[in-house]
Amino acid sequence: MISSFIIAPLFILIFDRIFFSRSKLRNVIYWTSLVFFLAQMVMVIFPVERFMFCRVDNLSRVSLLSIGLVAFVTVLSSRQIMKDDSKRRIFISLVLIAVIGMNAVSTTRDLFSLYVFMEIASIASFVLIALNKERDAFEGAFKYVLFSAIATVFMLSAIGLILLISGGTSFNSIRDGLRISSHNFLIYFALGVFLSGLFIKGGVAPFHGWVMDAYTAAPASVSIFLAGIATKATGVYTLVRFADSVFLLTAPIKSVLLFVSAVSIIMAAIAAFMQDDMKRMLSYSSVSQVGYIIMGLGCGTPLGITGAMFHFFNHAVFKSLLFINSASLESRAGTRNMSVLSGMGKKMPVTALTSLIAGFSTAGVPPMAGFWSKLIIITALWLSGYRVYAFIAALASILTLGYILKMQRRVFWSRPADKDIQVKGAGFNLVFAETLLAAIIVSVGIFLPFWLRVR
Amino acid sequence: MKQIFLPIVTPLAAALLVLCAPKKSNRMKEALALAGAAVNLFVAASLFNKNVNFSAPWLGFGIDLSLRADLLAGFILIAAAGFGFLVTLYSLAFMSDKASAKQFYFYLLVTLCLVNGAVLAENLFLMLFFWEGLLLTLFGMIAIGGKDSYKTAIKAFTIVGVSDLCMMIGIALTAHLAGTLAMSKISLSFTPMAGLAFTLLMIGALAKAGAMPFHSWIPDASLASPLPFMAFLPAALEKLLGIYFLARISLDMFRLSPGAWPSAMLMIIGSATILLAVMMALIQKDYKKLLSYHAISQVGYMVLGIGTALPAGIIGGLFHMINHAMYKSCLFLTAGSVEKEAGSTDLEKLGGIGLKMPVTFACFLIAAMSISGVPPFNGFFSKELLYGAALERGLVFYAAAALGSFFTALSFLKLGHAVYLGRIREENKNVKEAPWGMLFPMIALAAGCVIFGLWNKFPIHNIIQPIVAGEFSESMNAKIILATVIILCAALIHHLVSVKLRKRAINAVDNIHHAPMLSVIYDKAEKRHFDPYDIGLKAVSVFVWSAFLLDRMNDFIYNRLAPGCLGLAGRFISRSHSGNFATYIGWSILGMLIIVIFLMRGL
Repeated sequence: MISSFIIAPLFILIFDRIFFSRSKLRNVIYWTSLVFFLAQMVMVIFPVERFMFCRVDNLSRVSLLSIGLVAFVTVLSSRQIMKDDSKRRIFISLVLIAVIGMNAVSTTRDLFSLYVFMEIASIASFVLIALNKERDAFEGAFKYVLFSAIATVFMLSAIGLILLISGGTSFNSIRDGLRISSHNFLIYFALGVFLSGLFIKGGVAPFHGWVMDAYTAAPASVSIFLAGIATKATGVYTLVRFADSVFLLTAPIKSVLLFVSAVSIIMAAIAAFMQDDMKRMLSYSSVSQVGYIIMGLGCGTPLGITGAMFHFFNHAVFKSLLFINSASLESRAGTRNMSVLSGMGKKMPVTALTSLIAGFSTAGVPPMAGFWSKLIIITALWLSGYRVYAFIAALASILTLGYILKMQRRVFWSRPADKDIQVKGAGFNLVFAETLLAAIIVSVGIFLPFWLRVR
Repeated sequence: MKQIFLPIVTPLAAALLVLCAPKKSNRMKEALALAGAAVNLFVAASLFNKNVNFSAPWLGFGIDLSLRADLLAGFILIAAAGFGFLVTLYSLAFMSDKASAKQFYFYLLVTLCLVNGAVLAENLFLMLFFWEGLLLTLFGMIAIGGKDSYKTAIKAFTIVGVSDLCMMIGIALTAHLAGTLAMSKISLSFTPMAGLAFTLLMIGALAKAGAMPFHSWIPDASLASPLPFMAFLPAALEKLLGIYFLARISLDMFRLSPGAWPSAMLMIIGSATILLAVMMALIQKDYKKLLSYHAISQVGYMVLGIGTALPAGIIGGLFHMINHAMYKSCLFLTAGSVEKEAGSTDLEKLGGIGLKMPVTFACFLIAAMSISGVPPFNGFFSKELLYGAALERGLVFYAAAALGSFFTALSFLKLGHAVYLGRIREENKNVKEAPWGMLFPMIALAAGCVIFGLWNKFPIHNIIQPIVAGEFSESMNAKIILATVIILCAALIHHLVSVKLRKRAINAVDNIHHAPMLSVIYDKAEKRHFDPYDIGLKAVSVFVWSAFLLDRMNDFIYNRLAPGCLGLAGRFISRSHSGNFATYIGWSILGMLIIVIFLMRGL
């Protein structure tokens, strides 16, 4: 439980607050957190228990890796996007708190501590959204708080019921308790309510109402972190973890998961077509892609869960890359409104190219990483007999490609409009973050076989 | 260089030289063209009556570079070379003031090259190569006629191209059935598939020869294109080539016998061509157009003759082919002379110029008598052979051929009377005789008609009969001769009486033109209601229209319907995401309730 994934960021925070408050040393937290995130990735890829103080299974490793990666590029690019040093210090501190929460969620084996750490991550996220103290940001944060509160109500009451049935809160005791219990009625009620809470956290249709506003209103750096990992590592990862090790995936639960995910995928993809704000479009896309993860989970087979976790990782990579692209547009071209932007491909070649790669990964175009995860999910669906859902998943890829290409054409590859948009020069950090993520997408797509040992 | 390559290489070299000739000098290119044609004639003569074979592996898949000069090929070769030479000679005078002369000579020489190649080719694929090449020169020669000729050129290109496509399929089918592309090795009997192959090949041959229903570009071309082209291609070389190939497939490659159904098919096509085309020729009021319809009608005789599958009929058909080439070329050349000197070929504007152009008139007279089958000119003898064979196969075919003769005679009586006799018109007062360059080819061809008539035994026995296996009786049927004479006399009497009644030679056939039933059909024919090309175009346009509609529908689905639906759905979803958190919470609670109820429904 007490692992280095939780202790280390906590120490960084405390030491920063005590020793490095003077203005000259404000960037210490930037460097130390970067080092920590790198170390987290390394530790996950080459697991050494002596340094981690805990045991992690492969499911946790994927989640920890994604968290480390997204937090790394978020903090890295924030140097460019967020010019104010003191504000960035606060931002990084909050990110560290959120990372503590998510890391703990990823490694814990206890339902109640899971709930507590999820709340820690969420509270850090509220503040992050409202960091700029703008009206829209407050509104987005408020919606997130509101929905989190509802989710909390759902989850707490469900946890109470589960505790009543099983008599313990550790995953193992809950699993055994649920298995031998005869209170099917109560169990399914609790599970339904708990699932709904997780759906709210993960932002799945029809529980997704807060997602668009929160992502869009958040400051550029925050939405990278939020959309890339924050909601996924709390809501979606917990769902996968529960499905895997707490309750067995019974037929009705699978139906719920599949149906909800199909609705998310299609509804959000269609809505994404009509958006002008790039971040808003990306947040719809986010809802749609979470649908894919849950769909993979919903088919219940090991292959499906593998695909879901693979897509979890891929989504963290390409969605944070796309949000970095939009942040780059916002900070350099001054706007992220797609009806104003045009012909940016010539002026921002790295952004254009990396967003194309990320977009193709989103749509599942080979040889990008997203192609394989979608392929695995669709194959798993087909093999477990959900042919209709396999078709929906495959055809929705066309919709995805449609809105991605529409975005590409409008923003990057169209003829420049008469009113010329002045573009600031790209800094090293942004370019590095974009290239790193794009390189990961391409190399994962090409060297997939080494990455298949997810579960 | 092998001797057998010379007929292909010589005209091609001459053609390229003509292209290279300096722009300013007229004499240079004319001399080159004439020299090329003359050398070609010499080469063809040197190959005549020799059996030369050449074969070399070429593209693989049974496609060899194999050439063969046997008697039939040599015969066609020398005839084509002769016409080529005469038409070139004629063109020197006719085309002298035309800007397109250089192109014309180039196309003429290339045509000679390709015709020689097609005749000599022993491999079907090789033959197809030369045969298709003729399509280009045909298009080119019509297209240089002027602004309006493009339409006709495209029409000819389409008709001949489509039938060439049929022939291509026929060749593929034949090669598949026979297992070889070498003509001399193919020998098929008429199974249904072989019959289909024969029909397809026959379509190619008939379209080249200009039989119905592949004829309709010829009358149009007669008005649009330069006149030597008409004398050269539709009147002579295309008939030679088409009938040559028809003879090849009927005699060598397929065993056409009187009992086989393709024989009846050929005879029906032949008879129909004779009658329908001559009926159209009868009412024409233009010198060249009238001749062009006869060029179609006469093909009918040749097809009918070969279709009888009797030795007499085939010999008659081949003899008629060479005879027709001579007199029809001659007739077209006289038309050219009249056009050049009198400035028009419209019968309404001509009249009484016979005395002003005595040599032209004499040549016309001989050729007209030949085509009408007046003894002792060549047309008479070939037609007698045909009549005999047709009568043996059925009275109806003979009747069609004889009736065709009657109308032929009628139309030439009308033509000759209207152009050369009668009262001379005011504008034709200053007409002079054509220059010698133009007269010589006409005289040569007219002389040919007389020679082949008087000494008809020579070509029949020495050239044509060895080609055809089987014996035929030489004695002429006295009844047929009598019938022919009666028909000719009837035509003459009809003409004289009709002119007497209507005062003008041009109106001599009005009683037929305005006969109760016929006048309606004639009206429609004049308005091109029966042109297979126009009918085909209409059918194609319906197809194109429906394909276009289908395409529009596709476009509509992809460009309008799908994005429209998407836009509608997208707008609906976007509107429902109003940002009102109460709504969102409502959705969430509703969703939770539905999930819980769904999970607990079975318990």
